[in-house]
Amino acid sequence: MQFSKKWLNEFVDKDLNEIKLSDILTQGGLEVEEIEDLSLISDLVVVGEIIEIQKHPNADRLNVCQVNVGEKENLQIVCGAPNARVGIKIPCARVGTKLDKFEIKQAKLRGVDSSGMLCSAKEINISNESEGILELNENSKVGETIKNCLSLDDQIYHLSITPNRPDCLSMRGIAKEISAMTNFNYIKNIKKEIHENNILDIKINVKNDINCPLYGLRKIQKFDNKKEVPEWLKERLERGGIDLINPVVDIVNYMMLEHGQPMHAFDFDKIKGDIQVRNANKGEKLLLLNHQKITFFGDELVIADDKNILALAGIMGGLESSVTADTTNLLLESAFFNPLGLAGVARRHSLNTESSHRFERGIDFQQTINALDETSSYIIDLCGGEASNVLEERSKLPERKIINLRTEKVLQVLGLDIDKNEINKTLTALKFSFEECEGGFNVKPPSYRFDISIEEDLVEEVIRIYGFDKIEAIPPLTNSEMLGSDSSNRSLYDIKIAMASLGYNEIVSYSFIEESVEKEFHENNNLIKLNNPIALQMNVMRSKLWGSHVEALLYNINRGQTQIRLFEIASSYTKSNSGYTEKQVLSGVLYGSSQPEQWGIKEKKIDFYDVKGDLETLSEGELKFKKKDTPGSLHPGKSACILKNNKPVGWVGQLHPKWKQNFGVQEDVFLFEIDLEPLRKKVINEFNIPSKLLPVRKDISVVVDKNIAVDDMVQAVKKANIKHLREIKAFDVYEGENIEKDKKSIAFLILMQDTYKTLEEEQVNNIVKNALKVLHQQYNAHLR
Amino acid sequence: MKELKKLIQQAKDDFSKVSELSDLDHVKSKYLGKQGPLTEAMKGLSSLPSEEKPIVGSLINEIKKSIEKALGDRKSEIQVQLMNDQLKNENIDVTLDGKKQNKGTLHPISITIKKIESIFNSIGFSSADGPEIEDDYHNFTALNIPESHPARAMHDTFYLNKEYVLRTHTSSVQIRYMENNPPPLRIISPGRVYRVDSDATHSPMFHQIEGLWIDKKISFANLKWVTQSFLQKFFENDKLKIRFRPSFFPFTEPSAEIDMEWNGGWLEIGGCGMVHPNVLSQAGIDHDLFQGFAFGLGVERLAMLKYGINDLRPFFNHDIRFLNQFKV
Repeated sequence: MQFSKKWLNEFVDKDLNEIKLSDILTQGGLEVEEIEDLSLISDLVVVGEIIEIQKHPNADRLNVCQVNVGEKENLQIVCGAPNARVGIKIPCARVGTKLDKFEIKQAKLRGVDSSGMLCSAKEINISNESEGILELNENSKVGETIKNCLSLDDQIYHLSITPNRPDCLSMRGIAKEISAMTNFNYIKNIKKEIHENNILDIKINVKNDINCPLYGLRKIQKFDNKKEVPEWLKERLERGGIDLINPVVDIVNYMMLEHGQPMHAFDFDKIKGDIQVRNANKGEKLLLLNHQKITFFGDELVIADDKNILALAGIMGGLESSVTADTTNLLLESAFFNPLGLAGVARRHSLNTESSHRFERGIDFQQTINALDETSSYIIDLCGGEASNVLEERSKLPERKIINLRTEKVLQVLGLDIDKNEINKTLTALKFSFEECEGGFNVKPPSYRFDISIEEDLVEEVIRIYGFDKIEAIPPLTNSEMLGSDSSNRSLYDIKIAMASLGYNEIVSYSFIEESVEKEFHENNNLIKLNNPIALQMNVMRSKLWGSHVEALLYNINRGQTQIRLFEIASSYTKSNSGYTEKQVLSGVLYGSSQPEQWGIKEKKIDFYDVKGDLETLSEGELKFKKKDTPGSLHPGKSACILKNNKPVGWVGQLHPKWKQNFGVQEDVFLFEIDLEPLRKKVINEFNIPSKLLPVRKDISVVVDKNIAVDDMVQAVKKANIKHLREIKAFDVYEGENIEKDKKSIAFLILMQDTYKTLEEEQVNNIVKNALKVLHQQYNAHLR
Repeated sequence: MKELKKLIQQAKDDFSKVSELSDLDHVKSKYLGKQGPLTEAMKGLSSLPSEEKPIVGSLINEIKKSIEKALGDRKSEIQVQLMNDQLKNENIDVTLDGKKQNKGTLHPISITIKKIESIFNSIGFSSADGPEIEDDYHNFTALNIPESHPARAMHDTFYLNKEYVLRTHTSSVQIRYMENNPPPLRIISPGRVYRVDSDATHSPMFHQIEGLWIDKKISFANLKWVTQSFLQKFFENDKLKIRFRPSFFPFTEPSAEIDMEWNGGWLEIGGCGMVHPNVLSQAGIDHDLFQGFAFGLGVERLAMLKYGINDLRPFFNHDIRFLNQFKV
């Protein structure tokens, strides 16, 4: 909602400049979003008249104008506007004027002196129209400041009106609010007299009186719709953000801004027979004023005559029956359409009009007929014409129920002890009808307040007017309770900190991704599509985080980063017959050097075992890695399925070479993704006091087939439960010279320990022998 | 005997000529060895008259001790000398960089959420969460925003289909929590939310933190205390001023915007209000018995103010140079 402050002032009895209007509105819940101060225009911009025009000698598109600004000598000004011509009056910025971006100086333009600038509407900040110079009314006084000429001693207020306050989508509504919050009084202008001198001899047939409980019509005949609209009305509409169309439409819009009552004018001569207010039939069509052709779904409320649909009720009229400059007889409609009946109708047809915006939220049905009268009166004043009587169909209008407001409730909800008299004052200021009763008030909200139906609504009204700042900040009196913590779960934050300690930067990426990435890179064809994505490359919900992470990787590679480790914990989304599943995952990407570049340390590229090591550190060894069922986006030979308690919980591996090529990266990329829930589960181990005895260590080297997994060998030995064997672990793997082609040599260290005494040489040898026996039997391992 | 006494000086002289520890052992045996003069002298004791034996014996011992001491002293001297020589050669440039692994970082949004959670945890709020793909009922209807209510236009909603949306606010968690837990309730819920909006100050995905406190006597005055205290603690400024401005949310009544004093002006920081009776009863809570407040804060807004960043986009474009500033 935007409006002229000067106009608003006509509805209150004191000068609005005396108060901080912006603060008062904002504090009352009518948030001021912007104030355009028109009065900032310099007094050096004056009305000029072009007396003479000559072509610029050195530039085809420029003219040299002699401009009368009310002084003895004319100003010579070079101007490029195509509409510059002798006789028009225009805004002339004299030398020294400071405009938005520059100052007007005495200048030579292509060799010709120029003492000022002829301005467009945009250059003096009164509109965005920048085509040509602004042509002023021919009666404008030469030499007068533009500020006076165009009454620019005004400000345009832009308010953000919440959906519960449609009454404030009008000048009168806002004025009433100001009067409730200040000592200003609201001025109710007297309704203009109408002389009705003809009879409207058609019938109104309201077939859906639930959605249209009040419908009024008046005919105005023999009027002239080619009259010039007065400046003050143009100004107010323009400052209210409404385009000028023709006198009748302009007046209808003007009245809508003033009363908040949208109305519609039909060309009477285009109407065939009587008027019906009915539901549309499915498949019926209407060409709207904005040239949009709509097909009805079948439950929309429409205005129709005996033959055709004339308008989509409360939203937009049809083009065919609209009032044009040539119209001489019109039918003016003012109605109350039920907000519930109109709800969603405009949106379904992709419409949002000033009219639908107000009707959907609720208009003041008590003013519907008054607005019709006042509008008629304005039209006849400007365009002439004769008014008929008003035809009115009325059924059950909304009733405001009496609400009991208890002072005790006010205290209970707000925690603020307000005196009953203070409540009385705010209800009076709001012009609510009420009476005091035992413990409080019985209140009947006015017709225009659709938002007040329960006691809490009144509590809000009381505190809104009384002031939230009067409420003290009071700590709650409540039973205290301690929050426990769960040792068997790692917290989200613990995991994030652990990842950061491992050198990863946490990122936050969008949950949506491009469809092709989801299909091809994430290998998911069961897409979760957004109906209305913000961009095509963000049109599906992601089932993995990798696509986003590769994007993040490329962004950083392109900025010269050579060592990249990123992680994120976020949801992945999948769809099945039973619905949507959201699963939190820890996901990450690695690239480039494994360590920062520094002196004395040879650069080493990240490899599979760096990533695996990070994950093992993170999970404190609770994860296992198996070479099976890895996604197609990973290198089949250098990727693993991650297991926890023998259940697959994720994947880790090197980016498949074909994708590496596809993304155009130079070095190997590693990716991982693990389900968060299993990762959070923590084994609570038992704690022991270490033995005083030192363990004995023996190293052995064995040769086995290349394709045998080391961990399988380790597990086999552990499973054999060899007495006193505490640990077996590979510390070196060797392939190449001195080893057969299909074999590899693995060096294991074996730790042995007895709890009570130092192991004898013979015992040690036996343990090693037993371990070797297991390796030999199960994996054909030979001592090297 | 005199000859023997001379040995002391002789030994001292010999020791001082030696500069290597290994040579010192060699010289040592010359005096204290099995064939050395002292050993010889001891052997000769037996031929002495018995009254002289103890006198000569103790003299020999004294000489021996003196030589041993001289040896020890010289040994220490050589060791000190050696160490000094070693230290002279062992001299590193301590200004060279230390060897290190990269330390990673947490995202400013994570740090902010953690800080918010810690403050609320400290007065007994526990954390709750809910789905981001949310049904129409929990995102709108249960929050007193029926189908076609004009308030739905306040939310530029991403739709998956007629029934499911990407949640437009974390308020949906309120409903899910109230459905499953009897009052009294005291929770906060941080998370991702989505709106069809994108520019320097709007992101189609951003984070909110929702707070809910339902009990028998929780009032607006308490809401004011909780939000005010929270902001003061969060910005570590006990003088920070806030104000409440009337507003409209279908799920609270009365509703207000929370503004915070910032650089001489007021800055909108979140929305709040007393939970609407319809919302309570929809979730199966007796609104004659229980009441309370809810609030929603924008995490990015708080992070931007905290870190003095005036653009939202760096939060989501993953630039390591930006991220590296947020050390844990």
